Amino acid sequence: MTRALVLFAHPCPESFSSALHQTVVETLNQRGWDVDDCDLYAEGFSPVLTEAERRGYHDEPENIGPVAEYVERLRAADALVMVFPVWNFGYPAMLKGFLDRVFLPGVSFRLEDGKVKPNLTHIRRLAAVTTYGGTRTRALLVGDPPRRSVTRAVWHVCRPRTMKYLALYDMNRATEAARHAFLAKVEREMGVF
Amino acid sequence: MRALVVYCHPKPDSFTAAVRDKVMDRLTVAGAEVRLRDLYSLEFAPALQADELDRYEDTDLNRSGIEDDIADLTWCDTLIFVYPTWWYGLPAVLKGWLDRVLVPGVAFQMPDENGDIKPGLTHITRLGVFTTCGASRWLTFFVGAPGRRTILRGVRLLCAKRCSTVFAAHYLMDSATPESLTAHLDRVGRRVDRWVASAQTRKEVPA
Repeated sequence: MTRALVLFAHPCPESFSSALHQTVVETLNQRGWDVDDCDLYAEGFSPVLTEAERRGYHDEPENIGPVAEYVERLRAADALVMVFPVWNFGYPAMLKGFLDRVFLPGVSFRLEDGKVKPNLTHIRRLAAVTTYGGTRTRALLVGDPPRRSVTRAVWHVCRPRTMKYLALYDMNRATEAARHAFLAKVEREMGVF
Repeated sequence: MRALVVYCHPKPDSFTAAVRDKVMDRLTVAGAEVRLRDLYSLEFAPALQADELDRYEDTDLNRSGIEDDIADLTWCDTLIFVYPTWWYGLPAVLKGWLDRVLVPGVAFQMPDENGDIKPGLTHITRLGVFTTCGASRWLTFFVGAPGRRTILRGVRLLCAKRCSTVFAAHYLMDSATPESLTAHLDRVGRRVDRWVASAQTRKEVPA
């Protein structure tokens, strides 16, 4: 069975992000994926890279010590799905902290001659499911940093065969119909992931 | 000139701390009043919590717990971020500062039915970023420098219309030499000097 790690970052169970998260997990389960559902808020993940972690950052393999459980889950994944709201044109701190602390040298990348080499190439499928408060135009005006963070930075260390970036813009003014349509789209895309 | 320096690094002896000192020193020499928010030593908790989101749009209640940050943010006319770039973006602690402190009623007004959000930091006329990157300049540009964009484009939308910006980064930190570090500190100093001087000249020009 192929395993999908779902990284989710939103503190409110009644949020639209939460509904998206639920749709992702249920659809993948139905399609026969072995889903590792990692709800960062619910698991009490600490997003803060500590002084000790920074000092030992390049010491492989000891650097994985404080987050060994998460490293193991990442290494076991054939697919990675990130579900999060865009806040201030970036990841929520909770999800950013996962990258800071778990995407370590020797885990997500190797440094060879000072160059970053991908080390998560077992992740063959990568997806992000997200919502923006701002409009698409506003996101483009800023250069859409979260889209780049996923489709270039995370892509660069995974080099997946398939990548999806599913976004609903202008969330605060989105109608009920627009939200339903986006949920349906996410279900469809995850169904054929 | 009232400058707020938001600094974020876990190691007190990091190169980023030296950059912070250089920036603050040049600002002080230029006659600015300077305030510092050192997010790690303040043990700033970066994760926006459910109760904060519940009162997020209530402008009477959404400042609770972040009063000091907001006082500094509304006091300053110059906002400077000094941090290491991790994963092409802001460290989680700094990203969380934006998530928790840039609330409606302070940083912006929520949109009405047909409008976009309205900026709330229009008293900020200067915005700066001083950072370090493990990646090369080429790779950072390829990825699109999301961290730089988050601040210099995203946060800038909330500031004054003609807000002037400054940016300096030391790339390839893992192969830095004492010479490259010293050269970078000098560059940071010169950039701050020139930025402050040009802002002052502009102010003196009659409208």
